[in-house]
Amino acid sequence: MRGLITPVLSIAASLVVVGILLAAIGINPVEAYIAMFTNSFTSKFGLAELCVKTTPLILTGLAVAIPLRAGLWNIGAEGQLYMGAFAASVIALYSNLPGYAMLPAMFLTAAVFGMAWAAIPAVLKARFDLNEILSTLLLNYVAIHWVEYMVYGPMRGREVYNFPYTDLFPDAATLPRFFGTRFHLGFFIAILIAIIIYYVIKKTHFGFSLRIVGANPRAAEYAGINRQRMIVYSMMLGGMFAGIAGMIEVSGIQLRLRPLISTGYGYAGIPVALLASGNPLLVMVSATLFGFLYVGGSVLQTAYSVPVAIVYVFHSLIVLFIIAGQSLRRD
Amino acid sequence: MIDPGLLASLLASSIRAGTPLLYTTLGEIITERSGVLNLGLEGIMITGAFTGFAVSLLTGNPWLGVLFGGIAGMVLAFVHAFFSITLKANQSITGLMLVLLGLGITGFLGRNYIGEVAFYIDPVKIPVLSDIPYIGEILFSHDPLAYIAVLLAAILWFILFRTRYGLEIIAVGEKPEAADSMGVNVDRVRYIATLLGGFLVGVGGAYLSLAYAKLWTEGMTAGRGWICLALVIFSGWMPQRAVLGAYLFGGLDVLSFKLQAAGVGVSYHLMKMVPYVVTIVVLLFSVIRKRVAFGAPAALGVPYIRGKKE
Repeated sequence: MRGLITPVLSIAASLVVVGILLAAIGINPVEAYIAMFTNSFTSKFGLAELCVKTTPLILTGLAVAIPLRAGLWNIGAEGQLYMGAFAASVIALYSNLPGYAMLPAMFLTAAVFGMAWAAIPAVLKARFDLNEILSTLLLNYVAIHWVEYMVYGPMRGREVYNFPYTDLFPDAATLPRFFGTRFHLGFFIAILIAIIIYYVIKKTHFGFSLRIVGANPRAAEYAGINRQRMIVYSMMLGGMFAGIAGMIEVSGIQLRLRPLISTGYGYAGIPVALLASGNPLLVMVSATLFGFLYVGGSVLQTAYSVPVAIVYVFHSLIVLFIIAGQSLRRD
Repeated sequence: MIDPGLLASLLASSIRAGTPLLYTTLGEIITERSGVLNLGLEGIMITGAFTGFAVSLLTGNPWLGVLFGGIAGMVLAFVHAFFSITLKANQSITGLMLVLLGLGITGFLGRNYIGEVAFYIDPVKIPVLSDIPYIGEILFSHDPLAYIAVLLAAILWFILFRTRYGLEIIAVGEKPEAADSMGVNVDRVRYIATLLGGFLVGVGGAYLSLAYAKLWTEGMTAGRGWICLALVIFSGWMPQRAVLGAYLFGGLDVLSFKLQAAGVGVSYHLMKMVPYVVTIVVLLFSVIRKRVAFGAPAALGVPYIRGKKE
């Protein structure tokens, strides 16, 4: 239970600071928080939206958590997500695959593209010791502009007037939705992946090596574990999850490729992973919490016209408070 | 043959576009020289841009805006200093969170300021000199802050390499344990360098909203903070070299804009990727050619804990 103290206090402290900000622009924070809560949990649509927002966050949380286990910061989940979305969209729009093969093919190409995009900083880190925080971050911008280039240019749809969108995906390329809401199959995919990766880390040789490299690089060396290789593998695995998140966003929610498919899900993966201390099962819990913040953010936007940027303030404050808490307890 | 008039206006705009980069790069050079890595430039710049704009709008004085833009930058830099120097936390993550914090708070508070018209800092034509054909337009028709930036580069060079304070900053960034044993207060020097750096980064942001773009929009720094991180490396942590680098990247910015306006067949979106790719390549070169040759402070990004060897 002691492990819970820092996260809970961090969340509470962030709520207080954001509350002060809300009060500063003349909004009663208590009322606002109650509205966030009731809108997310008391209706079918609120709960569906909660799952919709939680889905990509589970995957980007894993995308950060797995490399973090090996001591690497993957700040590039955002870009890996965009690359996965791009790859899935190419398959959906141009492959003409039969219906049953469409979704699996999109899933696989998105996974491979996310992986490949993460392999660039991973190899640069392993080979040249290039700071992965900077390289993954810079590659986000490249990926986002790449998708913009595509939807403004070569991939712009024929039936979208002048909007920077592709055409809508064919039905076979969209994930089934349920209950008359936006709740879709991707939610279960994300949960399944989190459970699988939990067992992979816990039970397999790969998981063992990953944990050793992160916890004690020197011991890993004595145990004959190739650290360079683990750096590359863990980052690529993370990129794969982010790529899958991109596929799920375009085929479950957007139903087409367009700019801004992600509202910072990749960056939110950082606090999600930190709150869960890298544990895949706990990632599901912390992703739900951040999913709630996202839904709450849009509630605040519609009810009080508070800019969604407030969500970023939450993210950064929670991470800062967790880091402060960890440092204070270390002393 | 390139039209000399066009070239002159291109060079003049490069200097204008490069000035916010110059302030920010100079600020980060001071900070990094002391051994503190502040990745939060993007967030600090945007906070400076917003605060500067808001203060100028409310007080009617753009110079007060610049001052408060710098102070706002200092406040965020203080958060970074507290985490990296006092708490000895991971500097990269703290810096990154400053970016989210800055973008978040300014997006949140700044919404009502979009479309407002504040008071701006206007160019001053230097008498006689600005009448020289072409040269006058390129060098002598800017706003005062653009000249101050160059002057500042010279002053910082002097402080860093010719005074005792500079020596202490460099010593703390290279070998904190040695500086400590010589009686230098490592934490104090790092705090001062980080706060001073934050001030300059904030001024760079304020320049953006009050002198360059002359407006406020959400996320208007548009990645300039990241570019400045590369500029620090590009300039080898030397203030005097930052001047050239900043104008060069400013020129790239202007060029992509002008090419688009001229309808040249290079996609605007592909051009926007260029600075990031260039930055990665610059970083790659710096690590391949070994950091020492590039002059990175040896203790950059490493918290100093007395009595503990790396």
